[in-house]
Amino acid sequence: MLGKLDWSAIPFDQPIPLVAGGVVLVAILAVLIWVVVKGHLPYLWHEWITSVDHKRIGVMYILLASVMLLRGGSDAIMMRIQQAVAYQSQGYLPPEHYNQIFSAHGTIMIFFVAMPFVIGLMNLVVPLQLGVRDVAFPTLNSVGFWLTATGALLVNLSLVIGEFARTGWLAFPPLSELSYSPGVGVDYYAWSLQISGVGTLVAGINLVTTVLKLRTRGMNYLRMPMFCWTTLASNLLIVAAFPILTATLAMLLLDRYFGFHFFTNEAGGNVMMFMNLIWAWGHPEVYILVLPAFGIFSEVVSTFSGKALFGYRSMVLATMAICVISFMVWLHHFFTMGAGPDVNAIFGIASMIIAVPTGVKIYNWLFTMYGGRIRFATPMLWAVGFMVTFIIGGLTGVLVAVPPADFMLHNSMFLVAHFHNVIIGGVLFGAFAGFEYWFPKAFGFRLDERWGKLAFWFTFLGFYVTFLPLYIAGMLGMTRRLQHYDVAAWRPWMFMAAFGMLILSIGVICQIMQLVVSIRNREALRDRTGDPWDGRSLEWATSSPPPVFNFAFNPDVRGEDAYWDMKSRARQQSLEHDEPEYQDIEMPRNSPTGFVCAFFATIMGFALIWHIWWMVILGGLGAWATFVVFAWRDHDEYVIPAAEVAAIDRVNLEERRSLVSMAGIV
Amino acid sequence: MSDQTHLPGHDLAPGEEEQHSVGERVLGYVVGLGLALLLTATSFFIAGTDLVWQPSIPVALIVLAIAQMGVHLVFFLHITTGPDNTNNVLALAFGLLVVFLVVGGTVWIMSHLNANMPPMDQIMPKPM
Ligand code: HEM
Ligand SMILES: [Cu+2]
Repeated sequence: MLGKLDWSAIPFDQPIPLVAGGVVLVAILAVLIWVVVKGHLPYLWHEWITSVDHKRIGVMYILLASVMLLRGGSDAIMMRIQQAVAYQSQGYLPPEHYNQIFSAHGTIMIFFVAMPFVIGLMNLVVPLQLGVRDVAFPTLNSVGFWLTATGALLVNLSLVIGEFARTGWLAFPPLSELSYSPGVGVDYYAWSLQISGVGTLVAGINLVTTVLKLRTRGMNYLRMPMFCWTTLASNLLIVAAFPILTATLAMLLLDRYFGFHFFTNEAGGNVMMFMNLIWAWGHPEVYILVLPAFGIFSEVVSTFSGKALFGYRSMVLATMAICVISFMVWLHHFFTMGAGPDVNAIFGIASMIIAVPTGVKIYNWLFTMYGGRIRFATPMLWAVGFMVTFIIGGLTGVLVAVPPADFMLHNSMFLVAHFHNVIIGGVLFGAFAGFEYWFPKAFGFRLDERWGKLAFWFTFLGFYVTFLPLYIAGMLGMTRRLQHYDVAAWRPWMFMAAFGMLILSIGVICQIMQLVVSIRNREALRDRTGDPWDGRSLEWATSSPPPVFNFAFNPDVRGEDAYWDMKSRARQQSLEHDEPEYQDIEMPRNSPTGFVCAFFATIMGFALIWHIWWMVILGGLGAWATFVVFAWRDHDEYVIPAAEVAAIDRVNLEERRSLVSMAGIV
Repeated sequence: MSDQTHLPGHDLAPGEEEQHSVGERVLGYVVGLGLALLLTATSFFIAGTDLVWQPSIPVALIVLAIAQMGVHLVFFLHITTGPDNTNNVLALAFGLLVVFLVVGGTVWIMSHLNANMPPMDQIMPKPM
């Protein structure tokens, strides 16, 4: 009846996951009860859960990422403490638990923090920057988000029901095969990623189509803001690479569920094929994450330097070059697998070549700042912090891309330091910069600068104190994922890293404080102009938060830096004062399709993990029926009458006129 | 939001192109289907025949398969070289490039995996 599921699945004997799970459960229940009692449920349902507005979906993606960042961060703290204490002892985490933690940490941070954060920012901003009213497929967008949430939910469920994978975040076979991982851990891992992978693919298709097909009048390719270009490149990579992940995991699942032999040791399976395939996705994946961050930094650096981006066209070229070359380097993750010097040399050289366009970008940002009137607001701090940190990470990357060096450093703490250096210093700093930069746009008030700056400095410092020691430990021969060790020389560095983690945590607390303080002072921090940073691209040309329809009129673009251009022109012509002729606007209706679909997908995923076949069929049928109902809908759009558009737009126009005329006097 | 999608000189998505008459469209699909069936039948025939030089069979099958893809692209997916089709052609090119890189790279990598292994008979003692 319930497949493999019974009471033994609840880890009564392991206090840590049980207590953690219990606390989370209580917290969720408390929030739910609060929502229901306060009567917020209808509002949440109509305005958020069923929303197909790209801005709302973007915000929900970012919220999901932030919550999961706390979960992944707790894992990180536990691992750092374990390695600090487990010298010649078992520490406080038994091996099977420690192994689950590092696997969950990596999986969560990549798939449920970094991915939703950047996808959320792209969703929120790209249609605004392109000057359009929505993404190409609004309901599909909502489906994508909710499927990602399903994946996150399943991973967290593994905390209290069953176990998570003990295989590392990429579940390498043969360890992940049935003979070595008979439990449900790997199944939790694989099904979470399969379901959220569909969500990611959908988001990728949606954003590629949006950039290619929906641009406002005059917004030709070479006038798009840099963030739109990196969005295009990143999502092209998603569309091209994620199917590889899906296929690879599907083969692993066939091995586990139906006794196939794709990656087994025996019967002609080939473990190396898994490494090959997973990294053919895995390397593009790191660029899927970091390219949008590059875009964010481009926007931030040019805005806060008060200058157009230096070398815009070379930046476009570099972005697209990275997009293609990122498919030519994946072997550098398994130089030691034994493909021989010819193959290793070629992939090593390709890996060094990919550093060139990245270098081009760094110089472009530096030259953008050069001679600019720089304002060191919080987003700019993150951008500068990124440039320093990412250069170090890139250099150590090039170092491990030299095959002979990699034979020494592969799977050492040095490698761990490298990828945290690029992912924290690149992706996370980028996400934070974007968060600080676009928050006023999304919510209509600024974030508190003092707490923001504190958060930056603690995170920046904490990062170095945590990860520089790991480089040294790696040089001293410490390998990754050690539950305990006996080498005295490593110990001081582990202490230092644990201390760094403390500083990083203070950074996170500052970030939370910033949010709390800003929400409390929102009236004082209110931004009525819609353009708090003196921005250059179209998202700043509408009010904050933007109306559902984003723009009363599709803006007319005449060059790069569209909004900057409009502002300058407006200043010269002292703004036309005649009232524009407003028209009705059609917008897509909200739809519960995404949520319902994900609800059934959750049931199906859970049932697949526990081999509850009737429930699998139930979930599958439900998801399919949802799709059919949606496909046969009659009304998919509603009309906002011209009068209402006018009323909303007039307010914004007034504010903006006064802003521009004030600036005109200066 | 059709006012945004139909800018002059802007390209079209599959299915969005000018509507031809039903007859014309059906004809297109029928021709495509005929060609596809012909190519399939030829493949099956070639695979089992001894009328041609045997080593040429795999090559012939590859050629037929590529032709089959071409038929599908032209008649069913409506990829053309017209200016309204740039995105579709570029997307196809990008897809082909990625498939070529990943498949080609995989074959190359996997065929070199044992490069550093000494020959088997040196590792394993010969049976007496
Ligand atoms: C300058 C460009 C870069 C080069 C040349 C480079 C090179 C490498 C190499 C050779 C490895 C494998 C080392 C080993 O396993 O022994 C590696 C691992 C890794 N890199 Fe990079 N890298 C670069 C940039 C990045 C960026 C931008 C990211 C992410 C945003 C990133 C994320 C990772 C991750 C996650 C791993 C390790 C995954 C694992 O084994 O679990 N790298 N890098
Ligand atoms: Cu890589």
